[in-house]
Amino acid sequence: MNAVSAPEDLAVPVIRMRGISKHFGGVTALENVDLDAYAGRVLAIVGDNGAGKSTLIKILTGVHQPSSGTITIDDESLVLDNHSDAIALGIDAVYQTLALADHLDPAANMFLGSELTRRFFGIPFLDNRKMRKEAERVLDERLGVKLRSMNVAAESLSGGQRQAIAIARAVYHSDLRVLVMDEPTAALGPQETARTLKLIKVLREEGLAIILISHSLDDVFEVADQVQVMRRGRRVGVVNTADSSSQEVLGMIVGAGAEGETS
Amino acid sequence: MSTQESTLAAVSAGRSWQERLEPYLAIVGPLAMIAMILAFMAVVEPARYFRLSNLNIILLEAALYMPMAMAMTFVITQRGIDLSIGSVAALTGIIMAFAIKQYGFPAWVAVGMALMIGGTFGLINGLVITRFKVPDLIGTLAMDLVYRGFALVLAKGLVLARFPDLITDIGRGRISGFLPIPVLIGLITFIVGAIVLRKTWFGRYSIAIGSNPESAEMTGIAVDRYKVYAYVLMGAMAGLAGVMLTGKLNAIQATSAPYFNLHVIAAVVVGGTSLFGGRAYMLGSLAGVLLLSLMINALVTLRIEFFWQSVASGVVIILSVGLYTWLQKKDRDGSKGVLASLSTPDNRKLFKLAAVLILGIVSLIVLGFVFATTTTGSG
Repeated sequence: MNAVSAPEDLAVPVIRMRGISKHFGGVTALENVDLDAYAGRVLAIVGDNGAGKSTLIKILTGVHQPSSGTITIDDESLVLDNHSDAIALGIDAVYQTLALADHLDPAANMFLGSELTRRFFGIPFLDNRKMRKEAERVLDERLGVKLRSMNVAAESLSGGQRQAIAIARAVYHSDLRVLVMDEPTAALGPQETARTLKLIKVLREEGLAIILISHSLDDVFEVADQVQVMRRGRRVGVVNTADSSSQEVLGMIVGAGAEGETS
Repeated sequence: MSTQESTLAAVSAGRSWQERLEPYLAIVGPLAMIAMILAFMAVVEPARYFRLSNLNIILLEAALYMPMAMAMTFVITQRGIDLSIGSVAALTGIIMAFAIKQYGFPAWVAVGMALMIGGTFGLINGLVITRFKVPDLIGTLAMDLVYRGFALVLAKGLVLARFPDLITDIGRGRISGFLPIPVLIGLITFIVGAIVLRKTWFGRYSIAIGSNPESAEMTGIAVDRYKVYAYVLMGAMAGLAGVMLTGKLNAIQATSAPYFNLHVIAAVVVGGTSLFGGRAYMLGSLAGVLLLSLMINALVTLRIEFFWQSVASGVVIILSVGLYTWLQKKDRDGSKGVLASLSTPDNRKLFKLAAVLILGIVSLIVLGFVFATTTTGSG
């Protein structure tokens, strides 16, 4: 792991969430949670089931709205009413389910919802050839992935290739700043996991701020620069992976070392 | 990656004939069945079946279903279904007939109205399904009753007949030396449908919605709106079929077009479009329409009673869905042949249930004969 500078030494975080609380009816999912994500850094969010990881990133991606608290991007405060607002501001997510249409080919999947078109007599038609070229280019140049065939349905691809297409969809928007990845390696074998982690490193080198949700501490310590530990809707600590260990993080997750609570 | 690629290559080199065939199944399936029907008829009734006038009848029959099969391909690709098309066709036909006969509307206005009103009925179907959240099967079945009811209310028992030339041209006209006009209309709708499927947002999103509705929603596709579009297209094409039917028979009544829904669904499904969504084969649907027309005409040529047609449509649906599902099953390991799979504990219980039912029926029949009294005519 290359040396990681402490967050205080870095410039302004791209994303700064402060005092985020979220109540669902009488249930408190998040209470006074902060989050800082920096460009070119991978921030992992770990915690037990129900610790509030998903709720936190759903607020960041505009799917949920916080009960209280503020979000800023480059020190400008944001109000995200829905997911498209977040995408327009350069915040996108790759979901665990990947949101792929199994019967469509890789290019169609990558551009699903934002197809490239060409006009004939003023009527927009899908430009399948251009989408295929662009998909091949983005997969190759930005993710270093070459598919054997661009003509096959997504269902016939491997888990890692499907992941690559879902990531390519998010990174295609040139103004993408923050990429949230929800359990990207949960359904993958060792080889595919290694490939996906490599993709994450590639994206980090490109200067994206990456927020990674994961249950696998091995993966977290492999790619993340910082780990934010959540427990029962609170942030119980943030550690640099360089000067921590999975034992320490595990202790924070289950709440063993009470001295670990810094928030 | 390299090891992975080599294993993939090894797998593809050893692909079975089934995997090689799979992309073409949609078109090979119906073509094989068409060939079987033609071969059968060539042996049994070649003289009457292969007459030019009979082939014309087959094409005219097929043309009527072509626009609806095109639209139904989109609806079924989205995991939807529309059971109301027969009633929509009858009701739009009757409204058009009234506009012409009662109010003296010009024919072209009435035809335009039929298409628009059909589309409006489709819009109602779509809204019932997406806004009221009525499952498509029940929603369109209920609307089928509604539309049929309105048709009966409007036309009572009347048969409206004798229409202007434009209507009969649409239904049975012929460009001399070329194809009949309805066949031309049907083929044009299919060409347009194939382009829309491949080249427009509507086509692309129809596949995405049928493939995985949650994914489609997550990528920001307006799932409900595109579903409504498909039903509007379906309604408009059913309206067109209403015009074509009226023109073909030069008459329309409230009870016309009774089995359009099953016939069209059978044609689309036999063409390889999956009822489970995401797989659309426009060319397959066209082949399916031709297949059903050939089959029904064969039944007529063989002087089999008209009512067997509905039996045939139903059997075609069941067989083709079952066959495609079976062919697409990837994992055949662990299945030790038909006999072994029939003797699983579950299946043995089902056999027992079937045996009890059959035994019950047989014993009731025996009892019926034993205690039979003299019969009286039911009339």
